[in-house]
Amino acid sequence: MFDGINIICFSASYAVAFALALLGLWARPAWRRPAMLLAASAGVVAHTWYLVTRVQELPAAPLSSPHDWYIAVAGLLALAYLALALYYPRRSLGLFMLPVVLGLVGAAALSQKTTLASLQIPRFWTLLHAGLLMGGTVAVLVGFVTGIMYLLQSSRLKRKQPIDDRFRLPSLEWLERVNSRSLGTAALLVGFGFLTGVLSQLARGNGASVPWTDPVVLSLAAMLLWLIVAEGFRIIYPAARRGRKVAYLTLAAFAFLLLTLASFTMQDTLHGENHSVESRSTPTEAEMFQLAKGVLR
Amino acid sequence: MNLRMVGCSHQATSLDVRQQLAFGESQATDALARWREEFPETELALLSTCNRVELYAANEKLEGTPDDEHLTNALLGYHRVPIERVSMQLTRLSESEVVSHIYRVASSLDSMVVGEPQILAQVKNAYQRSQESGAAGPLLHELFQSALRTARRVAGETQLHRHRVSIPSVAIGDFASRVFERFDDKHVLVLGAGDMAEETLRYLQDVGAKKINVANRDMKRGTALAERFSGKSIEWDDRWLQLGETDLVISTTAAAQPIVTADAFDKLIAPMRRQRSLFILDLAVPRDFDPEIGERLGVYLYSLDDLEIACQKNRQARADQLPLAEEIVADETHKFLAGLRHRIAAPVITDFRRGLEEPKQAELERLFQKLPELDDHTRGEITQFADRLVNKMLYPPLKSLRDASEEGTPHSLLEALKRLFRLED
Repeated sequence: MFDGINIICFSASYAVAFALALLGLWARPAWRRPAMLLAASAGVVAHTWYLVTRVQELPAAPLSSPHDWYIAVAGLLALAYLALALYYPRRSLGLFMLPVVLGLVGAAALSQKTTLASLQIPRFWTLLHAGLLMGGTVAVLVGFVTGIMYLLQSSRLKRKQPIDDRFRLPSLEWLERVNSRSLGTAALLVGFGFLTGVLSQLARGNGASVPWTDPVVLSLAAMLLWLIVAEGFRIIYPAARRGRKVAYLTLAAFAFLLLTLASFTMQDTLHGENHSVESRSTPTEAEMFQLAKGVLR
Repeated sequence: MNLRMVGCSHQATSLDVRQQLAFGESQATDALARWREEFPETELALLSTCNRVELYAANEKLEGTPDDEHLTNALLGYHRVPIERVSMQLTRLSESEVVSHIYRVASSLDSMVVGEPQILAQVKNAYQRSQESGAAGPLLHELFQSALRTARRVAGETQLHRHRVSIPSVAIGDFASRVFERFDDKHVLVLGAGDMAEETLRYLQDVGAKKINVANRDMKRGTALAERFSGKSIEWDDRWLQLGETDLVISTTAAAQPIVTADAFDKLIAPMRRQRSLFILDLAVPRDFDPEIGERLGVYLYSLDDLEIACQKNRQARADQLPLAEEIVADETHKFLAGLRHRIAAPVITDFRRGLEEPKQAELERLFQKLPELDDHTRGEITQFADRLVNKMLYPPLKSLRDASEEGTPHSLLEALKRLFRLED
């Protein structure tokens, strides 16, 4: 029954949920919220099924190609949105989280489906590397969304704007906490993700080296550096743990993330692959499937 | 049916008169018992709040029901208030006006602050008291239950109750709750011990605030306020240190100059806070905090004027919901009256129908005994003929009764039917 599920199915569901979230700015009929949750839930179910189908078709998925990686990140964020929307029914979270989910799905549609992972690296390491970076990306995105909400809520309160039932944001305290934690979590996950990437490259042997000049590696290193500096700044300077400062730190982290994702999306080679021992072109999906089967065996 | 209400409310009566006519708990119970003896066949309920004193009377029969004058005498007589002094300020309603009025009262459409939630509990209490005193009967039961149902409908189907309109409720519910997720772990500092501070503390306590410190120049007053909210009274001179540590400030002093200037804030308080969120409610006139402080990072400063603007907007939002609420009241009033009239007319209609059915049955039996040769088919046809005839004879009076019910209880028509067809016999 799920055979025909493709990107359009769940992106349309998310788009409907987002349209209903937008509708809430003008009118809040009783059916709007259940319909919005239903659309988002349908999106998450179709999304999950799409990922499962990808894994069945290509065992190297779900995180080996930029396409699958984006889909997985979008899925995690959509799931987080659904959980938050259920837990905080009156908050206008969909207005901020769903566009990011849709953006990630859009990026997935534009990205290549061939694997990025070197075939000489054990699958466990590639999964760990991609998984940690995925977690780090989700943390940066959550930080970005809560940072934007913090700045908006703070500005509304500073301007003494009365509460608006059609546009309810979480409290500053909640936003600050989530924002702060997401920055710390992102620093840890991206740090370990970067480390596993470096270690797995070195573990390949045969004189393999880390491709430091690769745009993805470069931008990721820059983002990690920024996250470490930001986290250090927060630890040393107490005022940076609070309010607008931490929001600005997460917004800057998002800018670095955008750079990394742009280079990740635009590159047409396996990152590191053509800089080191293997100077062959990117394998096709079918080749990857055969090779991945061998790796798994 | 006879429904009446005599009373006064903030709409037409001065506070002075309302105070004279107000009933305490025990007085209300005593008055109901006394009036019950005076009007034994009438159901009675008394609603007494700060803003209204209303005596409701109901009787299914027209006879033996106290009229407006009796009820006025009863209400004023209990407090020995001379009629001529307040008579002009009293409201007197009957029949559908009473139904619509109690629905509006229970739904808080007639309250001084439209949409305030307390009135619903007060209406409920009034009915319970009447029930416990044995003064309520089926008619008042139905009236009050439907009033509570209407109030719930208004609360559920409109946004009337969702907009806060008092300064303290707006300050805490609309502003402080957007800064803080919870209040049980927040430090609250009260500067001064004014009434507004007390009212705001009540709201804060409702949302869980526990750590309350009160600083007042008059330590005795400050201690009294702190004790009422299980808080701590602190020296006035300690306020700077407290301002560095607290999360939420309520300021209501009577100082002629700001007690915290922007300069003092920057030098004494800001270094201690390190941009931690500070929510300040400056409820003093003139202001206690320099407005410039509100521009500092992490500081959210609200004056009485800021809160009043929000209150006005909320009041307007409530006003926008009024037509919908009035529609619900009108709909429920119509339903109640239709049900009530049906209840009153139903026994007469049943008797009237029986009055024709019984002779029909007797005549059919007589005919069938006279003509035993009739087969079942012919008997069936004759029975159907008799049924149709009775129904056609019943239709015009019942239609007239239904049409008359649209205008009000058709007492005279019911009476005429009873007499014409000797239904009472």
